[in-house]
Amino acid sequence: MKSKKIFALTMACMMGIGAFAGCAKKKDSITDYTFFACMPGKEINDGNEIQAEIAKLTGVRVKETWITGQEPAEAVGSMVVTGELPDFIDGGDGSDQLYEAGVLVAWDDYLAKDEYKNLKEMYSDKEWDMFRKPDGKIYWANVFQNTYGESKATGHNDEAFWIQVRVLEWAGYPKLETMDDYFGLLERYYAENKTNADGTAIIPYTALCEGWRYFCIENAPQFLDGYPNDGSVIVQLEGVDKPTIVDYNTTPTAKRYFSKLNEIYNKNLMDPDFAAMTYDDYMAKLASGAVLGMCDQWWDFAFTVNDKFKAAGYDELGYNYVPFGLTIEAGMKNHWHTYGDTLNSASGIAVTTKCKNPDKAFTFLARCLDQDIHDLRFWGIKGTDYLVDDQGLYYRTEEMRNNWADADFQAKHCCAYSYFPQYGGTSRDGKNAMNPGEQTSEFFATLADPLVKCFEAYGYTTYGDFLQSEHDEMGFWFPMYSYSNNMSTKTDGGAAWAKMGDCKHEWLPKVVMASDFEATWAEYMDAYNACKPEDFLAEMQVELDRRVEMGKDA
Amino acid sequence: MSLNDKDAPVLKSKINKTELKRQSILLIIAGLYVIYGIVFYYLPLLGWIMAFEDFNLRDGVIHSPKVGLRWFKFLFADGTFPRVIRNTLAMGAINLVATTVTAIGFAILLSEVKNIYGKKLVQTISYLPHFLSWIVVTSIVRDAFGTNGIINEVLVNLHIIDQPISYFMHTQYFWPIVAISNVWKETGWNAIIYLATITAIDPSLYEAAAMDGAGRWQKIKHITLPGIRSTIIILLILNIGNVINAGFEVQYLLGRGVLQPVSQTIDIYVLNYGMKNFSLGTAAGIFKTFVSMFLIFLFNFIAKKTGEERLF
Amino acid sequence: MLEKVRNKLSHNKMNGWDWAFVICNTIFMILFCVVTLYPVLNTLAYSLSDGRDAILMGIHLVPRVWSVDAYKQVFKIAGMPRGAYITVMRTIIGSTLALAANALLAFIISRKKFLFRSGLSLFWVITMYASGGLIPGLILMTKLHLTGTFWVYIIPGLVSAFNILVLRTYMDSLPDSYEESAQLDGAGYMTIFLRIISPLCKPVYATVFLFVAVGHWNSWFDAMIYNRMNIKYTTLQYELQKLLNSVMQQTGSADSAGKTGTKSPVTPITVRSAATIATMLPIICLYPFLQRYFVTGLTIGGVKE
Repeated sequence: MKSKKIFALTMACMMGIGAFAGCAKKKDSITDYTFFACMPGKEINDGNEIQAEIAKLTGVRVKETWITGQEPAEAVGSMVVTGELPDFIDGGDGSDQLYEAGVLVAWDDYLAKDEYKNLKEMYSDKEWDMFRKPDGKIYWANVFQNTYGESKATGHNDEAFWIQVRVLEWAGYPKLETMDDYFGLLERYYAENKTNADGTAIIPYTALCEGWRYFCIENAPQFLDGYPNDGSVIVQLEGVDKPTIVDYNTTPTAKRYFSKLNEIYNKNLMDPDFAAMTYDDYMAKLASGAVLGMCDQWWDFAFTVNDKFKAAGYDELGYNYVPFGLTIEAGMKNHWHTYGDTLNSASGIAVTTKCKNPDKAFTFLARCLDQDIHDLRFWGIKGTDYLVDDQGLYYRTEEMRNNWADADFQAKHCCAYSYFPQYGGTSRDGKNAMNPGEQTSEFFATLADPLVKCFEAYGYTTYGDFLQSEHDEMGFWFPMYSYSNNMSTKTDGGAAWAKMGDCKHEWLPKVVMASDFEATWAEYMDAYNACKPEDFLAEMQVELDRRVEMGKDA
Repeated sequence: MSLNDKDAPVLKSKINKTELKRQSILLIIAGLYVIYGIVFYYLPLLGWIMAFEDFNLRDGVIHSPKVGLRWFKFLFADGTFPRVIRNTLAMGAINLVATTVTAIGFAILLSEVKNIYGKKLVQTISYLPHFLSWIVVTSIVRDAFGTNGIINEVLVNLHIIDQPISYFMHTQYFWPIVAISNVWKETGWNAIIYLATITAIDPSLYEAAAMDGAGRWQKIKHITLPGIRSTIIILLILNIGNVINAGFEVQYLLGRGVLQPVSQTIDIYVLNYGMKNFSLGTAAGIFKTFVSMFLIFLFNFIAKKTGEERLF
Repeated sequence: MLEKVRNKLSHNKMNGWDWAFVICNTIFMILFCVVTLYPVLNTLAYSLSDGRDAILMGIHLVPRVWSVDAYKQVFKIAGMPRGAYITVMRTIIGSTLALAANALLAFIISRKKFLFRSGLSLFWVITMYASGGLIPGLILMTKLHLTGTFWVYIIPGLVSAFNILVLRTYMDSLPDSYEESAQLDGAGYMTIFLRIISPLCKPVYATVFLFVAVGHWNSWFDAMIYNRMNIKYTTLQYELQKLLNSVMQQTGSADSAGKTGTKSPVTPITVRSAATIATMLPIICLYPFLQRYFVTGLTIGGVKE
């Protein structure tokens, strides 16, 4: 009978499964650890070459897994409940939940020991204090934006109003200071240039409004007023008795900025489809070279777009973007570019209680910062991935550069352990950059002619120079988004924050497209105030006071 | 004219001792199923406690601090959640009607195709879009309805509209677009079940009708439709319970920004507001369950009153 | 079969309206196929395109620059052979067991004389709409020691109210006379289920098998939450999801912000398309075997033993 056949088949399959389960093989002396990141990332192949090299030197091999289709808090929740934890974890926005669940190993004992001095060295005592949780202990360390020695930064990894270099060339490389300068130039250029050489219509300005990336339209007012990227609020220092939280959504500058966008929308300078764009649409639009300018973070567009420009030869046409540090009025100071490091204490690498040998895990974390391992992670293997010249400077040939930009090659060869402790800045040899992207020679070798011309015309050597930002040290509280990113609807402030986000997603495009700006703005303000922003601001003020207090103690 | 007679209550009164004994094997098996159901479906409902506490991972489901009805109050504190419910129910209902009608219509038309190879081919093609993820389907829908998309092109060329419409900038087009996307993706797949049911109709009925001189339409009306009637009713009632689950992905992928007032569904709301707050998500889940159960009982009752096939 | 069609035609003289209907219906079917085939062919075209070209220019039905790199990427995943094995196993075992379990329960509920007919239906209907949520479900699986095993894919979803009701409705519509005559011959309920009802239910069994099989084939979320750190029981679709997420990373993310830019002939769109096509194929192959049960008419008389 058929049913018998099916039964036999089923049994055979079950036995197959059993056999399969039995064949987990024993490994050599290398310890295998697992790592989970509440961030999406690139998985590397089993048997990755640099990974093997690092394992040989440190005795540790880490299998990285990245979040897939879940929110961080949900992923953390499910791992804690099932007890299926990795050895290392970066909880991202779910970090507080990990602490809450008590599944992390405290760093304090290790930081006190000499063997782990590499880890200790990552931050000053004052900075380490920022990581302390309510129980007074440290459970994770953020591994990003940490400069060793002199800064070698060549990029502007932050937000700015970007403009294509061909527009600047056309106008004779003018200095753009204010928002009005910027949009004025776009308008003048567009009046004479409606299409690109290949016939595509030029879009003078666009603004992405989708999901969490809506900062492209939303947060410019804080910068236009000259403040740094605290993300969710302005911290006002002048004219007040203590650092004070100010809402940048309702300032006169905010109104002027959105009325400017409204004006250019009604002059047909704004992309008519801006509000319906997805991130993919936006990328495709930028990559086609049609968009003259936009406000965005460098990491949000540049890697994809610059690659596409290069592939299509558009970089030679001057389609690449450079940033300007605009303000609302001329002569104001600005903080678009952040010199120095931004310490985001909200998340970082942690060791879980599931890890059988935490000592070894911390040893590995410390080893990650040794120059030999660090070079392997970011530069690769000497001779194969980079060469050294007479002066001891590292450099790459064109072929090596192409290899490192190739996804297949990366998967089988490169192993950056990108969420493990690392430095930017200068290598311990005092000459090279910790990271090839910051090596000056490497930087200029990758720039196309129109960009080089633009850099020379202004006399700048880095993207950061374009912003003309202030060099002053950030307050101890900076950045405030490290707090607001961790808010939830469990508190009144968090609930207001969520509602404000919803409200702005809905109203900002409406305001920009309004035929009667004043009336629509007033409606928007009513809807906005109904979200009780004062609850949010009050909670932020409490956190700000706490941080200011902490800065004083240390 | 349905093939089965609805005289179960009459039969039930006839259950006697011999029948009970004969039935014992069924009762035992049914008991095992109930145990399974309790363990895997009813036991986790204890998690509903979470809706009445400020859940955190350290204290767990049982011991987290109790907050009473706080999260339910949160849901109904302002106009957002009621608006979200409206969107969910509206889109759920439109989608349900649209997909049911098209699936039945397609199944009947396909069953009228007499060429067996053509029939097989069409059916194989028809269900393929079901396997495409929403991300793929919505990207095509966005292209089609875009300012330079094919829909605008056709309408302009036919002089139905003067100039292209930006469908994704205006709220009134959103629900129809979602319904069209659903129909496009699921018609063939949903039709499978009706096709299977149509095949069970005794062919001799058609032959007899043909002898009586019945035309094509009369055969559909008097044989095919009654033949799949109970399946239609059962699926309809089951899916009415799901109206509150109008979806997540398609609205999330198509309805950003200005469309938010009409696109936000309960699931999207939970994603936005329930992040790191499992309690709020649970409260919304309980609300959804009660709406579903209410709708199911209501329509099951109507079915019972009108003498149709019913769920229970 | 053809005889039957011929029979029908001889019974039934085609008049003008009939011809009009046949022509309209044929045109409709062709249009329908074109409209439904478009997204599939579009996906196929993307999967066979060079990624850079696809993102810059958009693709309709034919790639401009052909490339099989996206497929190479899909089939090169490290977890692929193991994931495929587990997926095939869970699809075969899971669908077979689920069909058996659902059919038996549907049979019980559909017996008109069964004592708890309506109560048992309600019991299962409720399970469709009431859920404790993610966390309580996970706690249960952990307590039952099902996490980190293969059976976590099979056991929790074994019985589904939707499938039971579809099966029950079909069984209800079968004439009672078969059961009654068998009963008179002294057959017990189990015999009636196996010998009388099940053979008559082939079309609906095929349908439910297809539903469950497709569900098993496509699911990845359970693999992730139950066996995230346990690559022994990873599934094909979870591996593909991870791949898609990886490829997605070529377009920068906040913190780590691609310290190295990437030039690559594959892009999220092409890999996603290749993954879609690659996972569709096996189901398309399975379909014809099930299709014969619900495309050709079932002659009830012929099954009678």
